[in-house]
Amino acid sequence: MTETVAQKPKRPLPKSRVMVAAQTAKVYQDAWDAKARGEKIGWSTAIFPQEICETMGIPVLYPENNAAAISAKHLGDDLIAYAEGQMRYPMNICSYARLNLALAEKIQDPAYNTADPLLPSPDFVLLANNSCTQLMKWYEQLSHNLNIPIFFVDCLFNYDEEKPAAYKVTYIRKQIESYIAEMEKFSGKKFDWDKFLEVQKRSQINSKLFDDIIQLNTRVPAPVNGFDFFNYMSCLVLCRGKESTTEIFKQLKLEIEEHIANGTTSFPAKEEYRVHWEGIACWPNLGHNLKTLKNYGVNAVINGYVTAWNIVYEPGNLDSMAYAYATSSTNSLTTETIMNMRSDTIKKFDCDGMLCHVNRSCKMMTFHIFVGRNIVEEKTGVPCSNFDGDQSDSRVYSEAQFETRVQGLVEIMKENKEAKNG
Amino acid sequence: MVNLDSLFNELDTIAVNPRIALDKYLVSGKKVIGCFPIYTPEELVHAAGMIPMGLWGGQTTPSVAGQYAPIFTCSLLRSCLEFGMLGKYQGISAALMPMLCDTYRGVSGAWRVGVKDIPLIAFIHPQNRKLAASREFLAAEYGAVKTKLEAIAGHVISDAAIKNSIGVYNAHQAAIREFCEVANDHLDVVTPKIRHTVMKSSHFMEKGAHTAIVSQIIDKLKQLPIHQWKGKKVILTGITGEPDDLLDLFAENKIAVVGDDLAQESRQFRTDIPKCGGPLESLAQQWLDRTACSTVHEVNSSRGKLIVDLARKYGAQGIAICLMKFCDVEEYEYPMLVKAAEDAGIPSLSLEIDQSTMNNEQSRTKIQSFAEMI
Repeated sequence: MTETVAQKPKRPLPKSRVMVAAQTAKVYQDAWDAKARGEKIGWSTAIFPQEICETMGIPVLYPENNAAAISAKHLGDDLIAYAEGQMRYPMNICSYARLNLALAEKIQDPAYNTADPLLPSPDFVLLANNSCTQLMKWYEQLSHNLNIPIFFVDCLFNYDEEKPAAYKVTYIRKQIESYIAEMEKFSGKKFDWDKFLEVQKRSQINSKLFDDIIQLNTRVPAPVNGFDFFNYMSCLVLCRGKESTTEIFKQLKLEIEEHIANGTTSFPAKEEYRVHWEGIACWPNLGHNLKTLKNYGVNAVINGYVTAWNIVYEPGNLDSMAYAYATSSTNSLTTETIMNMRSDTIKKFDCDGMLCHVNRSCKMMTFHIFVGRNIVEEKTGVPCSNFDGDQSDSRVYSEAQFETRVQGLVEIMKENKEAKNG
Repeated sequence: MVNLDSLFNELDTIAVNPRIALDKYLVSGKKVIGCFPIYTPEELVHAAGMIPMGLWGGQTTPSVAGQYAPIFTCSLLRSCLEFGMLGKYQGISAALMPMLCDTYRGVSGAWRVGVKDIPLIAFIHPQNRKLAASREFLAAEYGAVKTKLEAIAGHVISDAAIKNSIGVYNAHQAAIREFCEVANDHLDVVTPKIRHTVMKSSHFMEKGAHTAIVSQIIDKLKQLPIHQWKGKKVILTGITGEPDDLLDLFAENKIAVVGDDLAQESRQFRTDIPKCGGPLESLAQQWLDRTACSTVHEVNSSRGKLIVDLARKYGAQGIAICLMKFCDVEEYEYPMLVKAAEDAGIPSLSLEIDQSTMNNEQSRTKIQSFAEMI
């Protein structure tokens, strides 16, 4: 994920990006080293209470993040074809899942080295279904195919209220408690509650820092090309509780403040229009997305996906932590709640439009768009435009359609601006 | 005198056109609660003196649902949304919807926007079922559903009433299971379509009334001489084995259905409601006892074993995997099911189930070939 925009660098990478790359490489290397020592390593869904394994010093890697990175390097198609062919998974299931289920089988052959980054095979998986139900089915398959245990925190779905009822929070909190006890047994390591508190505090520092950074892009023109934020998501997905993430975010903040002080930006064109990007990135097509947006002077200054990893809770309070994991993913909330949040963000970031990725792999996000774009249009008055794509399956995306949709959106935004300016 | 044909016809009329049953209940002054599949606690509706009515969509080419539901929405829920938006469920007081998959999560929002005249009562089953906390949670969740149903019914739903309804539902399940057993001795009479009709119709009738009819069917079947079926036999697995035309293709090819793991059929009836604390805890425990289902989290799913065991028990030569189009939970399990059948040396057949088309030609060819193969 961190290397996505770096494939054709036009200028040296900022220091924060170099730090991200080093941190990600270290996480992978730590897992490979632990595996080589005969220690257990895990794979985890992206919004799992990672603080527990972080506290226990158990290496964990993240297939969603890994699938994004592989797709961005255009290395995913063969794996997806393998999942659909030899493994018989239907093409309608999530492309991250198809890619990863194939990879999980491929890496059983020690000679396999095509994917990059390459994951060591897991000894257990960590599952939280707050992003979607498909994660549960995907991890069931991993568990079944590799014959390894699942540690599961069922985060429910907030179907008609933003705030989960107390009995729901209790259910989730009890699962976290049970998971800690089970992981102690499984790993043979004692859980250190004091260290846990420190990891929780560090997670909160990092979440707050990242939120502060995102808010800097409310400035007009924006100091950051919104797509750049995709490059820093891995810090919160892989290393939310690490001090190295704090250092990266401090550096990133410095770089952005420098842009602000100098009146410069990382957006590679004049910012004519500001849009909210809705949905996951089209990782295999990121280059075309960015090039097209740049050509039309459209900066996707903010998107809900990069802010989905801020898990905000009170350190030392497990109920608060359970609540946070039940509500942090936008896919765990109702369409109305999400689109009200999006409307507020669009106003705050002074967006002229909303560009929605109808992601063939993500039913939840697509439903939010189909059901909720009217809410955004009514509340903000900005136009919304959809385009078809996928987070990993390159067959779904059409360059021509994307360009046409952006062009259409720009025409409306232009008319709106002209009308506004008289 | 009532004969088998008239009993089958009575159920067929309802299964083919549930609106007839709905109107009958509404005219009689009953309140009706729509129940989305599957594992919705109908017993609470029944205990409130209202009629739980299954919402299983139907064959239709959606014309309005696409406004809120993308093309890759599972065809069953897309049909339900279509019917709701077109007013075909008019008269239903509310709809109970379990958040069993991503499509449900999405359709819950679509329903609220698109079907404003039928309030939604959403609820969720706990999936981490090995902890005691999951039963406590689900009992509380069912309690919240009960409160909403009480507001519609206009009265409190007593524990005694729920216990009584649990008895009605357990008796119904037992009757359906017995019917499936007895049916296998009379495969000349109980065609795949009739077998399906008997079970499907139960979703649109008060369960006590349905049990009475099924019991009569069982009695009359038992009076017939046992038939030695000379054709082939299969097991069906999936969400539904519809439409009727698809089932007729099995009959045309001299294939009988001798067992199933369909969510619309036997999955509904194979797990009794146990006695477990209060009635809400009993209903919750039934969910915890369920296995071998794509909507239920289970480490090392027992579904492959279940369909193989069913095939062996009933002498089926093949397993037909009825794969609901765009049903992701089923699609994830597809390779596992094929492999389980292969490992057992039982041929399997994949059929696409799609409520948005009446065209079964692809299935016709597949079933014909399968009949020759098994």
